[in-house]
Order: sequence, then C-alpha cells, then structure tokens
Amino acid sequence: MRAVYGIVVREFVRFLRQRGRVLASVARPFVWLIFAGAGFATVFAGAGAIDYRRYMAPGLVGMVVMFGALLASLSTVTDRDAGVLRMLLVAPVRRSTIALGKALGATLLGTVQAVVVALLLLPLVGLWPAPASLLLALAAVVVLSLALGALGLVLAASIRSLENFAGVMNFVVFPMLFLSGALYPVHRLDAALRLLAYLNPLAYGVDLLKHALLSAWAGAGFGGEMPVALDFLALAGFAAAGLLAAATLLAREGGVTRTAFRQGG
Amino acid sequence: MTAAAIEARGLGKDFGSIRALDHLDLEVRDAEFFGFLGPNGAGKTTTVHLLATLLAPSRGAARVAGHDVVRESLLVRRSIGLVFQETTLDRDLTVAENLRFAARLWNLPRRIAEPRIEHLLRQFGLLARRGDPMRTLSGGMRRALDIARGIVHEPRVLFLDEPTAGLDPRARRSLWELIQELRRSSGLTVFLTTHYVEEAEPCDRVAVLDRGRLVALGTPTELKRAAGVGSLEDVFLARTGHPLAEANAG
Repeated sequence: MRAVYGIVVREFVRFLRQRGRVLASVARPFVWLIFAGAGFATVFAGAGAIDYRRYMAPGLVGMVVMFGALLASLSTVTDRDAGVLRMLLVAPVRRSTIALGKALGATLLGTVQAVVVALLLLPLVGLWPAPASLLLALAAVVVLSLALGALGLVLAASIRSLENFAGVMNFVVFPMLFLSGALYPVHRLDAALRLLAYLNPLAYGVDLLKHALLSAWAGAGFGGEMPVALDFLALAGFAAAGLLAAATLLAREGGVTRTAFRQGG
Repeated sequence: MTAAAIEARGLGKDFGSIRALDHLDLEVRDAEFFGFLGPNGAGKTTTVHLLATLLAPSRGAARVAGHDVVRESLLVRRSIGLVFQETTLDRDLTVAENLRFAARLWNLPRRIAEPRIEHLLRQFGLLARRGDPMRTLSGGMRRALDIARGIVHEPRVLFLDEPTAGLDPRARRSLWELIQELRRSSGLTVFLTTHYVEEAEPCDRVAVLDRGRLVALGTPTELKRAAGVGSLEDVFLARTGHPLAEANAG
C-alpha cells in the first residue's frame, strides 16, 4: 500500500530532521543508567547475584521503545494542529490505513532508536547475548513498538491539544515505566500493583527483553517471569485493539468542527 | 461520464442548533469555473467540506464527479482536489517532499509522480525552492504549493476554499494569475469560495450564499442584469438587504 509507505517515510524523514529529538532519545537511557542506576543500585536486593546496571539494561531498551514509539504516534496531535491531518483525511484512503501507516511509522522509529541504544548499552554493561537471543530481543522490540505505537495513536486521537501532553506524560508514561519491571522485578510488587502491571504493554515487552538478555540470571529470579508465547500474544492483542480503536476514533475526525464553524467557516 | 461535476439536492448541515447550510440545490458543469460568493459564516466552507466527504450531511444528497458523497466517499476523494483555507503542508518537509508525500497518499506510482511533480514545480515557480523546507516559503509560495499539492493526482474537480485569504495584495494577484492559467491549461472544474467580489467576477457562474441560503445563481452578467445593478457587490445588497462588506466585517 503506497499510502502506508508514504506515511512511514514522512515520519522517518521528520524524525531524522529533528536533531534534538534524535539526540535526546539516544542520550535518555544513559542518563537513567548513570543517575537512577547509581541510586537504585544501593538499595537493590539482588546485589551479589547481578550487577544492577546490567539488570536495568533490558528495561532501558524497553524505555527507549516506549518514548520512541509513543512520541511518534503522539505527533498526530501536532499534525492536527498544523493541518496536515486534514490532508490525510481528504486523501482517498480508509481511516484504518492512516492508523496503520502511523503505527508502522512509530514501529520503525521505536525499533531504530532501540537498536542504536542497544548497540551502545549492552557492551557497556557487559551483556554479550548469543545471536538467537539477539533475534528474540529484536522481535520483542518490533512487537512492543507496534503495540505502543497503536496505543499512542489512541491517546493522540483522544487528546485535543498539546497542552494535555504533559498530563499524558505524567499519568501514562511514568506509571507505565515504573510498572513495567524495567527497574525492579514485577513479582516483587504487591498483588494490586502486579495486577496493574499485567495491564501494561510495556511490562510484556520488558519481560521478553529479559528473556532474551538476562536468561543467565533467570534462576536467581531476574530473568523473564512470564512465558515467551504469552508475552508475544499479549503484545499482539494490545496492537490489534489499539489499531482498531485508533481507526474508529479517526473516523470521527471531520473537516470542520463546531468550534471551527463558530470561528467563521 | 456525462454527469455534472457537482450536483447537490436539498443539501444541508446543522451543528447542534446552528443551521450552517439550510437547503442547497446546485449543479456545477464539467470544466466550469464556479464561484461561491458570500460573507464569512455564510456556509461556504461547510458546503465544501460536505462535498469533499469530510462532513456527513444532515439532510439531502450530493454527487461529485458522479459519485455519492456519503456512500462512495473514497471514489469522491479520489476524483477531487481540495485546498483548505489553512495550509495542510508539512513545515519540516521540503517543497518536493511535500508533493511526493501527497502523490503517495493518492497512490501515484513513482514513474508517474516524479515527472508530474517536476512539471508542477516549474509551472508554479517553485523549481528553485524544491529542496527548501516548506516553512522557509513566503505566504504566497505556500499557497501555490498547497494548490500544487491539491492537483498532483490530476483531479476532475478542484475545490479552492478562500485561496487568497490572508495574502498581501501582490501575492494575491500573482496567485490569482496562477489559478487562471491553471484553469486555461487544464480544463479542470474549479469550485472557488470567496468573499471578494473581484474574485467572483471572472467566474463562469456565481452562486451567492448568505446565512446558509442560496440567494442568487447565474453568470455575473445575468446576476447584475436581473438585479438591475452594476456590480456583484450590489447584487448581494439587492438580494439580502445588507451589504457584503458589512457582513464580512460582522
């Protein structure tokens, strides 16, 4: 589908042109590694079994995917402000095609950023996974990007303006990060929080990444906690549900709204 | 296809209790240069968005390029070009990239799109700026690029919604020449909305809209003769009882 390809290319070109965004996305996990890593390492119960910075690595890769894919999808809000969304809506393509293009754009951005970061981060913390593990990690990154990209689209279609963006960051991004197992094992959380973690797509992605990268420490309780198949299934479910919801929400998106009319259309 | 380019029957749209468009009967012929004249808030944009399938009508029906705007919206969107009042270009993409993006959305294969983009850039005087980000263009050039974007897929009907709004007089004039030239060279049906009388004057036929109602329809000459007045400005006054300029200001 040419329209999907066009949307993906546009997202990628825009991303590459925003130097600050590229730099921030690569630098962010290392800032966490240094500062959060130093702090958490002192209280980490697993000290002795695994170096805390090494333990953090899969979670940090998951975090890169989250920021990359979610922010890419949230660019739909900017598209609406700038009017570009109207061009998409007047093109002879279905709303579901637009949603798919946007989600695949987010998948590409999330994956590229995660791969670049992983190439620097894994050697730094002394993780040298086998080729098969790397493949599993790559698959995890792709599926997680798609799921979070679709989720980001739903958010973008539901929030009306950029001002709500900060709210999204505070009430979606950070809870998702802290309830993902990126910084501490999910099985150590109490039952209520654990239940929330199971509703969190990032938790399944981070779990997959732990399967791939921390399998040597699985015996000590620091590897993946859920079956690999369940992780993939959950992420596929989030992706499908998100895409469906996003396409439905986009279909409500018209040319003029009531407010636009009042302003004198 | 022998059907009219645009055909509306009892078309209307309400936003809550506001009647944006009351009841529109209209036929625009193939290759016609059709002007839709009225003050701000008359329902011009609402009409364009109904015809472009961006809004669902509250009542009535319309066909554009022979396709029903409700049941065959994809076919309608394939046959039309629409230039909105505000730009829909991507500020961060270059001039050429914006056109390429549109070409892909309209499913044009590269070997057809590239020469066409080349041609449009030359025709619209943008060739030298092709590699520059869109945000560096002047207002007039942005508008020209918007129009190029709207016709990259060679639509049968082109909607121009207040194309010269917000431009300085010089940019307005050169854009206007561009539109005229485009009309002559392509034989495209153009549906132009405007609140400037002088832009309606060169149209083949003009529909005058006020407060969601069609108040006059005909060639500019017919309209003036029927109202016994010398300008379209006076036609508006004769038909509505209030001057167009005043309605624009309000």
